[in-house]
Order: sequence, then C-alpha cells, then structure tokens
Amino acid sequence: MSARSIPADAPGASWLRSAFTRNRLLELLPFILLTIVLILLALFVPNFFNSRNIINIFVQASTLGLMAIGMTAVMISGGIDLSIPSVMALSAIVGAMNLRDGGSVLGSSLLMLLVGSLAGCINGFAVAYLKMIPFVVTLAMMTIATGTSIWITNSVSVPVVSEELFSLVLDRTLGIPRPIIIMAAMALIATLLIRRSVFGRWLYAVGINVKAARVSRIPATRVVFGAYVVSGFFAGLTAIILSARLGAASANMGNDGVVLDIVSSAVVGGVSIYGGVGGPLGAVLGAIFITVISNSMNMMQVSFFTSLMIKGVVIIAFVFFDSLKKR
Amino acid sequence: MVNPYLTMQGITKRFPGVTALQDVSFQAYPGEAMALIGANGAGKSTLMNVLGGVIRADSGEIQIDGARVEIDSPLSATANGIAFVHQEMAMLPTMTVAENLHISQFPTRGGLINTSETDRRSAEVLRRMGCQFTPDTRVQFLSTGDRQMVEIARALLTHPRIVIFDEPTSSLTSREKARLFEVIRSLKTEGVTIIYITHFLDEVFQICERATVLRGGETVGSGMLKDLTPNAIVQMMIGDIGIEVHRKRETAATAEPILGVSSLSRKGALRDVSFTLHKGEVLGLWGLLGSGRTEVARAVIGLDPIDSGQVEVRTDGAGMRPIKPGQAQRWIGMITEDRRSEGLLLSMSVKNNMSLANLRGLANRWLLVRGDEETRQAQEFVDRLNIIISSLRQPVGTLSGGNQQKVVVGRWLQVSPPIIIMDEPTRGLDVGAKAEIRNIILELAEAGKGVLVISSELEEMMALCHRYLVMNRGQIVRELPGTASRNELMAAAAGVDFMEDR
Ligand SMILES: Nc1ncnc2c1ncn2[C@@H]1O[C@H](COP(=O)(O)OP(=O)(O)OP(=O)(O)O)[C@@H](O)[C@H]1O
Ligand SMILES: [Mg+2]
Repeated sequence: MSARSIPADAPGASWLRSAFTRNRLLELLPFILLTIVLILLALFVPNFFNSRNIINIFVQASTLGLMAIGMTAVMISGGIDLSIPSVMALSAIVGAMNLRDGGSVLGSSLLMLLVGSLAGCINGFAVAYLKMIPFVVTLAMMTIATGTSIWITNSVSVPVVSEELFSLVLDRTLGIPRPIIIMAAMALIATLLIRRSVFGRWLYAVGINVKAARVSRIPATRVVFGAYVVSGFFAGLTAIILSARLGAASANMGNDGVVLDIVSSAVVGGVSIYGGVGGPLGAVLGAIFITVISNSMNMMQVSFFTSLMIKGVVIIAFVFFDSLKKR
Repeated sequence: MVNPYLTMQGITKRFPGVTALQDVSFQAYPGEAMALIGANGAGKSTLMNVLGGVIRADSGEIQIDGARVEIDSPLSATANGIAFVHQEMAMLPTMTVAENLHISQFPTRGGLINTSETDRRSAEVLRRMGCQFTPDTRVQFLSTGDRQMVEIARALLTHPRIVIFDEPTSSLTSREKARLFEVIRSLKTEGVTIIYITHFLDEVFQICERATVLRGGETVGSGMLKDLTPNAIVQMMIGDIGIEVHRKRETAATAEPILGVSSLSRKGALRDVSFTLHKGEVLGLWGLLGSGRTEVARAVIGLDPIDSGQVEVRTDGAGMRPIKPGQAQRWIGMITEDRRSEGLLLSMSVKNNMSLANLRGLANRWLLVRGDEETRQAQEFVDRLNIIISSLRQPVGTLSGGNQQKVVVGRWLQVSPPIIIMDEPTRGLDVGAKAEIRNIILELAEAGKGVLVISSELEEMMALCHRYLVMNRGQIVRELPGTASRNELMAAAAGVDFMEDR
C-alpha cells in the first residue's frame, strides 16, 4: 500500500479559516476583554495608568499568579485544590513564628516551603492513593489549615520583621520588584516543564483519560499525588513573598475570596475545569486580569461585596466559554 | 426497476487538511441492504455522519423517497426515519440498559417516565435481538459485544425506515453476528433500507444485495453484488496490493517461559486461570463473547483487581519472578479492545498519542521529552503502518476508526515490551491493514516476544496462534495446538467437545 495523503486545497482552507477563527477567538477572549477593560479604565479611572499603580498591580498579581500556577497543575490532572490559600497562610505563620523565635531567614523560608509541600502531600495522598474526591479532601484541608492557623496564633497576626528577608524578596532587580520576577520566572519554568517534561505530559494524559493513561503505563497515582505536592509547594512559595510584603503572617491571609480569585485566574487563563487543558502561562495572565479587575474596582470605590459579585459573574462567563470550546 | 429510497448526491465535505468526501453520490434501495465499502479513511463514516445529521456537508443534497430533505441534526435524522448504529459507541455507562435505550425519548405518563413501559419495550427489543441480559443491567457491567447489541437495539426502537450500521460486527462473535443478521433480514422484509459498513467481505456477500465502494473520498463503483466478486471489490477499494501474508510456524520458536499465570481468580469473572506464555509464542485466548478472555488480559495487566492468584514474568537475565499487579505494565504492553475509552487521548495529537507509553524512553537526562526524536519515531510508525493523517499534530479523535486503531498499535511497537497482550488488535482495520498487522504480530513473535492474542475472528486466530486456550465462563477449559482445525475450534468454543472429554 502506498502512502495516501490527501492534500489540502483552496476551498478547504476557507472552512479551516472559519474553524480557526472561532476557536482562536475563544482563546483570545481574555486578552480582548482585558483590552476593553483597560480602555474603559483609561477613560474613567484617571490614575490607573500611572506607573506606580501598574507596578503595584503586578506585585499584587504575583502572589495570586504563583498560587494559580499550583492550581493549574492540579486542575490539569482533573482535580481542584481549594486549600491553597489556607495552606499558604499556615505556612506563612509557621515560618514567621520560626523567624520570630530567632530562626534564620533561609530556615524560615524553607520551613514555609516544607509546610506547604507537606499539606500538598496529605491532599495528594488522600486523592491519589485513597481515591477520595478532590473537592472534599481539599475543602477539609482548608478548614484544618485555617483552624490550625487560628489555634497557634490565637487569631493574632505574627509580625515578620527581617531586613534580610525584605531585601531578599522585595528589592528590585533592573528596576523590577522581585515578586514580579519570581512570578515570571516560575511561569516560564512551569510552562517549560509542563510542555516538555515527562511529568508534564503524564499530567495531561491523566487529566484527559486516566484509564488510557494507566494502560499506557503511566504511573497515574503518583502523577496525581505529584500535582497536589506541586500546588502545596507553590502555596509555600507564595507564603514567603506575601509574608514579607505584608510584614506579618496571619490566618486572614488566606480568606475565602482568595480561592475564588485563584480558580478565576486559572479558568480565565484557559485552564479547563474538566482537566487536561491549559497551562501555567495562561493562569498567570488570568491572575493579572483578575487583579486588574479587583484593583480598578477598588479605585472606582466599588464595595468589596459588589466586586465579589462581579468576579463571580466573570468566572461563570469563562466557564461558559470553556464549555463552548469543548464542542 | 425499483426506485432508490435514499439518494445522496454531490456530497462534499472538507476537514482542515483533508477532503473527506469529494462529490460523492450514493443510493440505497428499500428492502435491501447496501454495503458501503472502502479502506480505512475512505470516508464511509463521514458520509454516514452527514446522513445521520452528525455533521453537515459543505455541499450536496439528500433525497428520501423522492423528496429533498434537510438533515441538520441527529434529531432531524430520526424525524426522517433514519437510525444510526455508530462505529464508536457512545453509552452512559452508569445507567441501565433500559435507560440507555430510551435516553432520547422516554415513554412518559403524566410527564413522568413510565418505567414499566420503558422496561417492557426494552425487554421486547432485547428479546428480538436474542440478548441474555435484562434491561436493568448497568451498561458498565456489559462486555463490549453486549454493548454493541444495546447500541443496535437502540437504533431499532425508533421504528426507522433507514438503518445505518457502521461496523456493527467488529466486536461480535459468530453467534451474535448470526442474531444480528436475523434482525437485518427481518428488517428487510419489512421494507426497511439498510446501509451496512464493514471490512468483512464475507458478511457483505452474506447479507447485502448491493455495494458501493469509496476510495479516497470518492465513489469508485457501485453495483449488484451478484455481479461482483470479492477480488473485484478489493481491487476497487485499494487497487493492486501485493501484501505477502506471512505464514505462522506450527509451534512456538522456543519453550522458554516468559509469562506465568497461576490460579488467577476474581469473583464472578475468573476461576482458577493458569497458563504459561513462551518466548516467541503467539498464544490465543479463544472463546465466545463473555467467556472471560478480556477479563484474563485485564487481570494479568492489573487493570482489574484479582481475589487471588499470581503473575510471574521473566525479567532480564534472571528467571521468572512474581510481580505485583501494579507493576505489570513495565514488561507487558496492552492493546485494549475499547480504543476510545481505554486507549487513546482523543483530544491529543497523533504524535503525543504515539509516544505516550514511551515517554521515559524519549526523555533526556533532565527528564525532558526530546521533541525531535518524538517526531521522528511517530513519523516512522505512521509510515510503517500507513496511518492516514493530515499532520502529526492532528487530534487523534478526528482520525477514521481504523486509523485510530493503528495509532494504538504503533504506540506499542514503539515501546516494544517483551510481552504484548492484544485484545482485538485488528478491529476496524481494512483487509490490507489487517494483513499488515498480522504480519507484524508474527514478526514480533519471531523476534522473541511473547504475544497473547484475543480475537473474535476465527481466521485471524488461525493465522496467528501457535497454541489456543479455550475459555468458557471465566475458566480455561481446554488447550488446543496451533494445528487445530476450524471445526475443532468452533466446537471447543461452544463447549461441545469439552463435555465429551470429561
Ligand atoms: N473531525 C474531523 N477532523 C478532521 N479530519 C477528519 C474528521 N473526521 C474525519 N476526518 C478525516 O476524514 C477522512 C475520512 O474519515 P472516515 O472516518 O469517514 O473514514 P472511514 O472510511 O470511516 O474509515 P474507517 O474504516 O477507518 O472507519 C479521514 O482521513 C479522517 O482523518
Ligand atoms: Mg469509519
């Protein structure tokens, strides 16, 4: 038998173009919306485009972006991690206490990463090995972490005072604040790994079809476990930056609104709640988008509750676009 | 001369990178079965998807009973009396057979589902099909063959005037096939128009009156079957193919065991299954549908849990060594019978699907996948297996059924594990491709691999196997040598001989 390939011809290309534009449009939607929002902001919020505010937005977005990267790993695997903010807060508190009690900056930072990753291990173990439902497991972890945080701090925030930590985390390099650089670097590394690494490929495979993945000798259980550890690790990383930025750590750092923001970031950035689709870069762009919305509503003095409502609407809209893309 | 009941004219359909149908004309007659034949990727399913309202053609028109109709959705196809038994099954596994049968139109009473009527109708259609299971069985507990019967039953419920069968027998054994043919015959006497897609030419001559042949998206011929020979049809389908069919050895090349299975049991599925597979051997699991062949394969590979038993493999150099259920994949490759739910990642590219089982082998020392090597290997097997694709990046779900199957086969050829289990490896392949895959299986054995094959096709088993294990109700009831005759195999599967032996 000879190779029978059928060449594309001209009229075919027009069909192709229309299919292309539809999906492309859906993919570019966040950017189109962002542009519209930005134009509106330029018209109605005078100080928005001042460089301080822009930098401020990016710094704010960096912590959200890092947590969204962690969430992306879990969502690609087909799960969800609701415990990220509360685990982040707990990590920050444990690290801050260690610092307060005379621990080194390096030790305290590592401790934060460790606490985050450990919580991720517990989540991952329950989901991957005990086959429990991600939503329930991480919801439970959320209450456990928050409970622990309140218990060990007595609801009092723990001050973080360390010039060494501040300069390490908050200084500027080439005029750009470190949190932004860290977020950008992490987004790039995560993208590279998820696209090119064996683990990344496995992650998508498990998210798309676990059974097929298992048959293709992919260690699905370990992969799912790994996804939650990654997400816990990013919670720990975020804890370092946020505690330095706030100069304190408290249970309040991980309030409920943050979960919503993380999920929104990922979904807006094209990560599918059905698993197997999307990537960290999109999630980070999503985080910037969400931060712009929060920030501008803040500047327009929209009330906190109204802004929650608007964000909720944005999520639903994007989940809807996501379902359009599936067809 | 009878007028055609269905006429499709000038149907053209393009997908990104391929023209699947080019100005195709197609006619089918009442009370007759029209065979639709063509190589993998010829456009058969696409043409029927147009008729079934699953996709819309770019141009062309459809007439039913002389009147032009617009079919723009599966519902409007049903409204026009068209029923479609799809090549790739779409069932709701956690729902019951009755629910699956009626999912698109439940009989209701006062706005609620009339369950007794649902059950009655389901039982009736299942009886007509000669199915053994009850309407309240959950579909997930049915074998692939039984699911296929449910799919067919679903099509019959709407009392259609045109029934499309897209490869209905690819997972049926002769017994179910006979029952299906009974159903088709009775449909024909009721004046229903049948369109029958298959790669089995013997079935075509058995059940159809006419045939239309597609090739590369174009109609290349159409006529009464009494004027045609199988050879003429193959000639139209693929032209001259000089595939030399390898002949198997009489017995395995060695007597060195490579896989040992002892006392495998699982409640309700397997009882005390023990056997040994040797290097260089093609061992066939033979039996009726639901006799436990697939269950054995799944238990060996650790896809299904087992209650007791042990699996041993020969690991490099050392002798046989027992392995834990989860580890089997390291040495054993498996082609599952259901490529869509347990084989392919449909939304991923052809390339990524091909490399899926081999990612560790393709990784550099940083555990990053070497993209160029991945592409090279994927291309190599696409060429070797003649997989029709428009690009390596094409999502595998958009390939034709047979080409999807080839991707699954290619995936394991790339890894080349010492033991390969193949459950219906040539399912959905055209004659040429079947012969090629069979040759490859024999080559694998010659190269010293152990191959365990399950196939419902007797010819295929006879062409491949050095030894047969005959299964019945989850047990191995008999072993037959590679020289066993057709009749011996048929009798053994039906359990006839077995009783006498005892
Ligand atoms: N959604 C799609 N997107 C792109 N290409 C497609 C799509 N559906 C079908 N094709 C292409 O159209 C061609 C015809 O496919 P079709 O499924 O009709 O073949 P077939 O004759 O049914 O083959 P088989 O015997 O393997 O089932 C193939 O080349 C296939 O890749
Ligand atoms: Mg087909």
